[in-house]
Amino acid sequence: MKNRLRVLRAEREWSQADLAERLEVSRQSVNAIETGKYDPSLPLAFKLARVFGTTIEAIFSDEK
Amino acid sequence: MGCTTNNPAARRYCRRFLFTMLLYTLFLVLAVWAFVHFRPTGPLAWLLAVLPALAIIGQLVVFGIYLAEEKDEFQRTIAVQSMLWGIGATLSVTVVWGFLENFVHVRHLDLILIYPLYCFLSGISFGLLQLRYK
Repeated sequence: MKNRLRVLRAEREWSQADLAERLEVSRQSVNAIETGKYDPSLPLAFKLARVFGTTIEAIFSDEK
Repeated sequence: MGCTTNNPAARRYCRRFLFTMLLYTLFLVLAVWAFVHFRPTGPLAWLLAVLPALAIIGQLVVFGIYLAEEKDEFQRTIAVQSMLWGIGATLSVTVVWGFLENFVHVRHLDLILIYPLYCFLSGISFGLLQLRYK
């Protein structure tokens, strides 16, 4: 699954650690999601959408 | 999952794990001491023999509590994956060893060594998974 986390973070000038703190997860978790090594659960995807003030579809796409 | 991490669930896991290790050491020393000095028999012998194993079972329970308390789903996934790799590797090693014992008469593998083998192999799996997701 592709995602726009890096772009969304850059727009807000957040580091992975900043985003991790907002999501209450580890920086390693953010890195794994961002690099596409781990697909988050639906609750975490909703939390990401809330943190960025957007929708899940605007962050993730099912393209390879 | 270290004792100095920022993750509260991992810190609690580490403290509980160390407590079970302390219990294991105490129970083992007690059992060895009792069998050497008093040669107990009957139910008391059974109880003393099983005491160290109860501490080991406690470690498995502590791991289960960690999985239930860990709020970071990715960390939980890594912990479960390392456990599954550890179980798979331990079963593979022991089943191969079992057939070797039956057919080519290699040295007997004491059952008491299987849990440390599982811990070792799970630890390696955990390290490799940490590298993969670094």
